Amino acid sequence: MAVVVEPSSSDLQIHRLPQPKYIDALRWLPLISALDNPIALALHDSHSATSSIEIHALKTPPNPPSLDLQSSWPCPSRVSSLRVSQTPQKPLIAASTFDGSLHFLATHPVNLSIQSDTSIAEKGFHVGPIWGVDLLGSGGECVTGGEDGRVNLVTVGESRLSYRRVFDSEGLVSYTAAKWASPAEFATGGLGFSLQWWDQRKPGGAVSQFKGGWGRGGSSGIVHSIDIHPSRKHTCVGGGSSGTVFAWDLRWPEQPVVLSGIGTGERENTSPSESEVWEVQYDCFVHSSNISNVSSSRILPVMMCSEDGILAVVEEGEEPAELLAEPCAINSFDINVQNPSTVICSLEWESVAIITRQ
Amino acid sequence: MPGLVSDSGDSLVPFSPEPSPPPLYRLRHAPRPPHSRIAISWARGNCLRVSFFTNPSPPGDQSGGKVVEVSVGSGELHDVQRRRIAYGSVSPFALLQSQKNSMSALAGMGVGSSTNVAEWWEHVMAFSDDISSLLGNPKRATSSIIEDEKVVLKNVEEPTCLKAAWELIEIFYAEKQSQAWLPERLVDWLASYDCLLSTTEGTVHSELVDLQKELATLQVIENDQKYWQGISSALAVGWLDIVVKLLRLHGSYQLDQLGNRETENGLVEAIAVLVSKMPRMRPELANGTLGECFNTKPEYMKAWERWRGQITKLECSAFWVQCEHNQTREGLRKLLQIMLGNTNSIIDASFNWMELYVSHFLYIKPFTMGLEGMDSLAQKCMQLKPSSHSHELMRLMLGIIGENTEVVLAECSRSFGPWMVAHAIELLTIGSSGAETLLHEEQYNLGGISIEELYRLVYAQVLSSHALTWQASEIAPVYLMSCATQGMRLLEILLYKQPVQQNKILLKTLEICRLYELDSISSDIMKGVRQWKHGRKGSGVFWLQKAQDEVRLNRISQQLFDYVGRSISDNSFKQWEGLIELLGQEAKTVSGLDFLHKYRDFKKSLQQITDGKASDAARQAVESLILLMKNPSTPQKFWLPLLHDSVSSL
Repeated sequence: MAVVVEPSSSDLQIHRLPQPKYIDALRWLPLISALDNPIALALHDSHSATSSIEIHALKTPPNPPSLDLQSSWPCPSRVSSLRVSQTPQKPLIAASTFDGSLHFLATHPVNLSIQSDTSIAEKGFHVGPIWGVDLLGSGGECVTGGEDGRVNLVTVGESRLSYRRVFDSEGLVSYTAAKWASPAEFATGGLGFSLQWWDQRKPGGAVSQFKGGWGRGGSSGIVHSIDIHPSRKHTCVGGGSSGTVFAWDLRWPEQPVVLSGIGTGERENTSPSESEVWEVQYDCFVHSSNISNVSSSRILPVMMCSEDGILAVVEEGEEPAELLAEPCAINSFDINVQNPSTVICSLEWESVAIITRQ
Repeated sequence: MPGLVSDSGDSLVPFSPEPSPPPLYRLRHAPRPPHSRIAISWARGNCLRVSFFTNPSPPGDQSGGKVVEVSVGSGELHDVQRRRIAYGSVSPFALLQSQKNSMSALAGMGVGSSTNVAEWWEHVMAFSDDISSLLGNPKRATSSIIEDEKVVLKNVEEPTCLKAAWELIEIFYAEKQSQAWLPERLVDWLASYDCLLSTTEGTVHSELVDLQKELATLQVIENDQKYWQGISSALAVGWLDIVVKLLRLHGSYQLDQLGNRETENGLVEAIAVLVSKMPRMRPELANGTLGECFNTKPEYMKAWERWRGQITKLECSAFWVQCEHNQTREGLRKLLQIMLGNTNSIIDASFNWMELYVSHFLYIKPFTMGLEGMDSLAQKCMQLKPSSHSHELMRLMLGIIGENTEVVLAECSRSFGPWMVAHAIELLTIGSSGAETLLHEEQYNLGGISIEELYRLVYAQVLSSHALTWQASEIAPVYLMSCATQGMRLLEILLYKQPVQQNKILLKTLEICRLYELDSISSDIMKGVRQWKHGRKGSGVFWLQKAQDEVRLNRISQQLFDYVGRSISDNSFKQWEGLIELLGQEAKTVSGLDFLHKYRDFKKSLQQITDGKASDAARQAVESLILLMKNPSTPQKFWLPLLHDSVSSL
């Protein structure tokens, strides 16, 4: 059975806001006015089988938390991945879909309206779902990885989009996650707990491959999400099946550090989850004060959410700290970059949870 | 289904002979006529699919026809709310089931049962509270906490029939400790839900709503008949706070009139005081409600006699003669008659038999305890206040006080749907061993399952018909697992029917298999993922590996081997390298794949040589080459490419 450190209730404030639609993904938008926190939600209405991207303003204490719809954009297909550029003057939302299209929404920083939308939806781009999308910090470039085994780079111009194919495995390998490490390098995740490292300066394929050696055959799994810390560009953390969260340091490529997971032998009893880990992100809130003291080989704390309803922070050599244990799956979460004490997550039962840490 | 209606004389549920008008559904986005043909079929869940076919259109006209879906969901609840209730009731239900299982395990070990029973009541009550709060919190629609003196009715969230029905069942079945003050619980219940009882024939609530609207415009309210009628009605159903508030609006309270209407005002105030001092057999009063509480019957009876004595004394008082205002005198005396339990006055003041029924408990049979005589009293009230339309809450009430579990179940099912039945059963069985036997006994005509299981299966099927409450949310499985006889089998069937095209949904389905240890089903589902056929070769191999389908994996290795043998260029190497990696060690039994592994190593070393890391890589390349050449499984057709590769690196 999973062992976790229970947070004392005074440390956390949790609010659940039921929504009328299923939430496929959610992200904080960069904050420009000091009043309400803007949030982007990718929604799916099961009744009309329509998808949309909505921008809401999150009212925070002293008001009771609530989401106020600011603007909405109909999405032609269900959203598979959602990213937001951290540029307050011109927040850009990138959304990939199950049908292989990619959409960019430019939002007005103050009134939160959607000012323009551009899309790529041609056959040559992706066939089938795009699972991994990431925007380069300023939002000028976007990497996509799909189930079809293609990796594309999209250049986001003022009025038009252009893309180029980085790689096409023709379906022999599928990509399920993507994340920039630097303006030239990015990482992808895939089936069989695999990770790939790419360098735009070295075309022709991934420059480095990592295959999770512990997950063979029946216990093998999929990487659903990866993250790279801006100050530790050599390390990539991934989260996937069987409660697995692991870190891959490019300097020691043969030795992954397993932070959590049930199929991993010696760390069996400290895994907060036993099912799919849907998302991982470095948690800059925990120990943010003594980050400089930590040696560069130590893996920083990572937040994860899972199909069995767990939102927790896992750290190398520490007991996991559970933030939320829901009766239903937690499908995605996002830590507010500007205020890391607040986390939003989307629950399977059509609601958004807001967690404020003290 | 048990207790279902038939119109022969022995039907359990009263069955109105005139059919209700068929519901009409409006089609939005329907194409304009003419249509050559219309086809209607069931879509998923409660949706009807209507297909319009146009006449063979002239060339160039693209509109061949159109398909629209109509949701025929009935009832007052929106789909979104219904799903919210479904989500919210999973945890309380699952908790109660696990408590039930651990209790019965304890009972099996012979641990003392009397504490168990008390504990069980607590569990069921907690369950009922959880469900009740889920259905909304519109408490006491009639409370008058708002300070505005002219506002007698507080506007609160509209209560739902579902909540009213749940609370009714809770009052009678789950609140063991409240049996002594059951009548007062009914008074409270009516105060919250009276507004639901009729939309056409009026209720005390609707009368007060009308009165409230007029209060703002009326100058001398005590001259208006409606004012006195409103007070009488409110008094009859025990909304004492409203009565007192309305009485204090009487014109004689105004400072300029107090002088010459002193006696009249004295009488109004005397009644107001008497009303607010009415003895009530209940543990406590909610904030803002009036009366004096008594916990034990002897004390209550003593106080009641004293209170009645005061009313009788006031009745005979000489002041009435001195009261010159006609309407006030008559109105006040009518109030006295109600408090004295005059049947005719009470009948006049109420609108339907439920209200009359509650008045009976308040003023005519104040010492009623428990269910004794409740049924015959209800029959009497129905005769006194006949109604052309029987409301679903009233029918439910009749089933409950008639102590007929089958009628209650049938009413729940008919009026409030499968969710209600599946959850209400937990309350119905608690106090009565008869109901428990009836609901838990395996019924031959139901295929060997109990009524309880039947209703759970029905509810689970409703859940499964909606993508969100089944597909991903693990709700239906929770209910199916509580069905001992057929639940597992149905779960297996439902799992087999889940779509597998999408990784996320597939993984969620597999998670359900993992939770309920259905390994063989999950491996069948994984084998069913047809990614291989659709060009997603990597994904196809991945799922076959997960399913440990050696037969297919070997066949794929063979295919791959042939493929690599045909096109052996550096470009294609990059592509199939990943796949060989994925196929991994399991497929080593296939000799061809063993070769591919070695060939891969060789190619890698060669590449490193060209990248400039010469010495080590060159040695490895040579080793790999020797291994390859020695290996009997190396096919002849590879000899030339191997030679070519080696020479080029020299």
